Order: sequence, then structure tokens, then C-alpha cells
Amino acid sequence: MAHQAHSYHMVDPSPWPIFGAAAALLTTSGLIMWFHYNSSVLLTLGLISMLLVMLQWWRDIVRESTFQGHHTPTVQKGLRYGMILFITSEAFFFLGFFWAFFHSSLAPTPELGGQWPPTGIKPLNPMEVPLLNTAILLASGITVTWAHHSITEGNRKHAIHALTLTILLGFYFTALQAMEYHEAPFSIADSVYGSTFFVATGFHGLHVIIGSSFLTVCLFRLIKFHFTSDHHFGFEAAAWYWHFVDVIWLFLYMTIYWWGS
Amino acid sequence: GSYEFMSWKKKSGGFCFPHKGLKPIVSTESPALIFGTTTKLASDLPATDSFLGKNKVPDLQKIFQKADGLPVHLKRGVPDRLLYRTTMALTIGGTIYCLVALYMASQPRNQK
Repeated sequence: MAHQAHSYHMVDPSPWPIFGAAAALLTTSGLIMWFHYNSSVLLTLGLISMLLVMLQWWRDIVRESTFQGHHTPTVQKGLRYGMILFITSEAFFFLGFFWAFFHSSLAPTPELGGQWPPTGIKPLNPMEVPLLNTAILLASGITVTWAHHSITEGNRKHAIHALTLTILLGFYFTALQAMEYHEAPFSIADSVYGSTFFVATGFHGLHVIIGSSFLTVCLFRLIKFHFTSDHHFGFEAAAWYWHFVDVIWLFLYMTIYWWGS
Repeated sequence: GSYEFMSWKKKSGGFCFPHKGLKPIVSTESPALIFGTTTKLASDLPATDSFLGKNKVPDLQKIFQKADGLPVHLKRGVPDRLLYRTTMALTIGGTIYCLVALYMASQPRNQK
């Protein structure tokens, strides 16, 4: 049997890229059908197939690495570059929404009453739930680092405890934000204040949910002995993403919640 | 050889990889060695061995390294095939439905 004379991973032919592209088509055209023709069939199909593709594609990556051993140091280096590039692209995504916020808040128009917050808007008190949320995410950054150290030191029990705590803190943040959204005296329709507030914090909340899901998958893999003390890049990628989510929140808190109130 | 490479890794403890120097074949971690490390670590901590289940990774490694020519997304047989076919039905069927819906939406509407 011929062996490869290089340390790269030549993957098996896979249907997930093309199915993923189809799922994106269904989801986007599904949004159109839902907006304009009051039909959610396509959108539902799109979201379900997107979920199926993600599950199977990532399942296959776990199979290729943990069970088949294809993730050499070279492959891992490529994955590190990839994750860093992805997180950088997400940082630029949020940069756009911060730009929009400062565009509108640094020079408030007469229609807003020439002030920020605009006339009639009662902003959330940054020293109440938002401050608690800041403490929660900072604490979760500490617990995820504790989990990482536990993994590298081979301490299985501590790693599982620390990662579970991180995930619980993430859920606590999400629950508190959902409650804040429900109780807020202003809505997304309340001038550009509402737009910038809910779009920026809303996308952040979505990323918290994504990060919590990523960490939860890592918890299952940790329990199932997938990680070794030297090789646990899936966990590191999740931790990087989680720290990124935390940093975005700190910027949101300082600018939109605090300066903007 | 590669065994010496692995014991060097264990001595250094943490997360170290030799990025310098080109030793493509030698530095490629062969499957048996990575999983040898996993099993060794599990038995290094006998007290936590049974904490939340036992290590089934070596068994799964045997399944997924079987030389049956199956691609990784179908390697487990029936459950993989079922999921694959469901996904294919939803995406391909959905794409056809989508093209029909877009064709219909692009027809001019008559004034009532």
C-alpha cells in the first residue's frame, strides 16, 4: 500500500461543500419567500439542511483527526491559520456595526433632537444588568483558561468542571440578555438608536450562542477522551472564539452601553 | 526514529511541535503513536479513569481505520448512509423547489 511522502491531509471526496452551498441558496431564497410571499417552506428547508451539513461536515473532521490520525503538526498549523483568519474576518464584521454606531452618535441629526441618546430614548443603565453581563463574560474567560490548563496538565476532572462552568456562564449571559431585550423600553424600530443597539448587540448575542455551542461540543469530546494533553486544537479554537466574543462585548459595553448613555 | 520524537514530546510536557526542520515522514505522527499517547494518559490517572464513562477512542480508531475503501462520511455504514441520503434529498429537492419558486416569482403579475 502506497504511503504519502508529505505531512498534508488529502481529504476523501465529500458531498458537504456542495450540499452546504445548496443549503445557503435555500436559506437566502427562503428569506425572500418569507419576506415577500409569506411562505416559510424554503427557509425551513434551508435551515434544516444547513444544520445537517454542519453536523456531518464537522463530524467527519473529528473522524479524520481523532479516529484516523490525519491531523499532523503541519495540518494543525493550517487549521490555526484558518481559525485566526476567520476570527479576524468576524472582527471586521463587527467593525462595520461599530462604524455605523459612531457615524450616527457622534453627530446626532436634528431629527434625533441633536443629542445622543436621541430625545425620548431612555437607555439601559450600564451599571445594572450590562455590568453583570460584563462580569459574567470576564469570569467565563477565566474558567475557559482554567479548563485549558487542566487539559494540558492531564487533569480530566478539573477540565470537565471548568469547561462546564464556562458553558453555564455563557447560558447565564444569554438568558440575562434575552430578559433585557424583553424588558427594554425601546425597540429596534426606535430611530437609529434602536437599529444600532439591537443589530450590534443582537449579532453579538448570536455569536455567544455559537460560541457556547462550540464549547458544548468540546465538552462532549473532552468527556469522550478525544483530547490529549498535547493535541486538542478543537478546544483551543473554541477558546479563541470565546475570548473574541468576550472582547467584542467589552467594546460594546464601553461604547454603546456606557459612552452612548 | 519517530518513537524518540514522541518521547521527547512527552518529556517537554506541554504543547510543543517542531516547526523548524523538514522531517516530513518522521515528524508525521503515525496513528498508533498518537493514540498510544491517549491510552497512556488515561492509565496515568487511574482515579479519574471511570469519571464519566470509559475511553472508547481506540475502538473507534479501529472502525475508522478499516481498509474497506469507504470515504469518511460513509465509514460507519447504515446510519451514515441514512443521514447522507436525507441531506441529499432535502438539498437537491429543495434546490429544484427553489428554482421553480424563483421562476414563478419572476413572472410579471397581471394588474387586477
